[in-house]
Amino acid sequence: MRYGGDNRGRLLIIVLLVTSLFLITLDLRGVQVIDGLRTGTQTALTPVQKVGSWVVSPFRNFISDVTHLGRTQNQMEKLRAENDKLRLALQNRETADAQLKQLKGVLNLAGTAGYKVVNAKVISQGSSTSFTQTITIDAGTTSGIHTNMTVLSGYGLVGVVKYAYANSALVQLASDPAFKIGARIAGTQQIGILSGQGTRKGVLQLLDNTTQVRKGDALLARGSQNGRPFVPGVPIGEVTSVDNSPGAVTQTADVKFYSNFSTLGIVAVVVSGSSADPRDALVPPKPRPTPLPTVTIYATPGAVEPSPTSTPSPKTK
Amino acid sequence: MSLRRFFFSFPIFFTVFLLQEAFVTQMRLPAGGINLLLVVALIWAALSTPEIGALTGFGAGLMMDVSQTSPGPMGHWTLVLIVACYAIAFLGYGDDNIRGNPINIVFLTTIGVVAAQTVFLILGMMLGQEIGSVKQVLLVLAGSAFWTAIISPLILKVVSYFHAIIFGERSHI
Repeated sequence: MRYGGDNRGRLLIIVLLVTSLFLITLDLRGVQVIDGLRTGTQTALTPVQKVGSWVVSPFRNFISDVTHLGRTQNQMEKLRAENDKLRLALQNRETADAQLKQLKGVLNLAGTAGYKVVNAKVISQGSSTSFTQTITIDAGTTSGIHTNMTVLSGYGLVGVVKYAYANSALVQLASDPAFKIGARIAGTQQIGILSGQGTRKGVLQLLDNTTQVRKGDALLARGSQNGRPFVPGVPIGEVTSVDNSPGAVTQTADVKFYSNFSTLGIVAVVVSGSSADPRDALVPPKPRPTPLPTVTIYATPGAVEPSPTSTPSPKTK
Repeated sequence: MSLRRFFFSFPIFFTVFLLQEAFVTQMRLPAGGINLLLVVALIWAALSTPEIGALTGFGAGLMMDVSQTSPGPMGHWTLVLIVACYAIAFLGYGDDNIRGNPINIVFLTTIGVVAAQTVFLILGMMLGQEIGSVKQVLLVLAGSAFWTAIISPLILKVVSYFHAIIFGERSHI
């Protein structure tokens, strides 16, 4: 028999719906109790998440490997070659090595710029089923971390601290659709606004339509007042394509972030910026082409033809 | 009577919430991964009466709202899940062709997850949230449907077992 409902049932549904709308209204009006509820939950969950991070890490590494394997044939070939080299290293302290490398990269970057940083481990990645891109780190207000602080990896910008709890903090990744940052192009100093798109690619909107932006240009953070939320000079990403549509109001470009958000293990939170703007000092160096070795062979009349077992000698041309 | 029984289900949902927050979100599954609490709530609702379904949605929605990864205001997921769970329960109630067949429940749950996320998204846009590129949204929705269709059959037996313990053998699959 189909359900027809009764008065008590209808009343219950109405009460529940009204309660949820009431909660939304209270939250949007900024009632402290609601914020406290979330903060309390997160504080209670942090130890559980730390245990979970430790337990899940082998499985997570496996998923990450599977996800990134074989996207293109070239990548597969490259990965196969790298895999052999890495296998030996992976047998010994796989996680520790990776974290150490990330930590070194972060410290190099922060040291070059003169940032004062607090290092933290990523203990959880927010579910993107809610259409957001966040991570949770294992350091919070007790370590000097507060909201609106820049978060770095060894490659560049990761995001910004959205909420800080006692022993953990929620970081909004630069790939989050709601993320926006003032950026400038290294060298030319053109400025624009970079927005996250939910993937590793962002969109740069230049403020001046007459300026020129080229593929391969490096983007740096412009910085905010007092270094919060963004300290100046942090590398963000590289321009991968430029949209020069005639008639467009502003010029836009696709940007690939330097940081790979799916493999973050160690990050650094900038608690204090440098006294001077590092300008373009943090732009990652372009890969330098390796010179091709040139071999000159001289023909010598009457020379003995080399055999497979004989000592190599100059060969006739 | 049934309201009192409903409160017995709280520890089950709390456990699922802990699993979701401490383990599932850290697996970094491709294509957005899965929201275990959402799936369990919808399966639970599919096995329940509409009133219990709505209450389940309310409880599970509150838990999802207190999660730090929830981008919306408190009550956002609650509102969506009340409607989604009530609708799922309403569709299945009194029709043993639906409730007695695991495939139908998996199908209902998968549709329910995608529908709930879509409503969540629309409601979020109305509340002024950014949603990102359409491609990414479609990828997350497709990923959720995929993972739900994979996970639901695996946990259906367990969920129906606990549901039967609390609400009686009639709902056992």
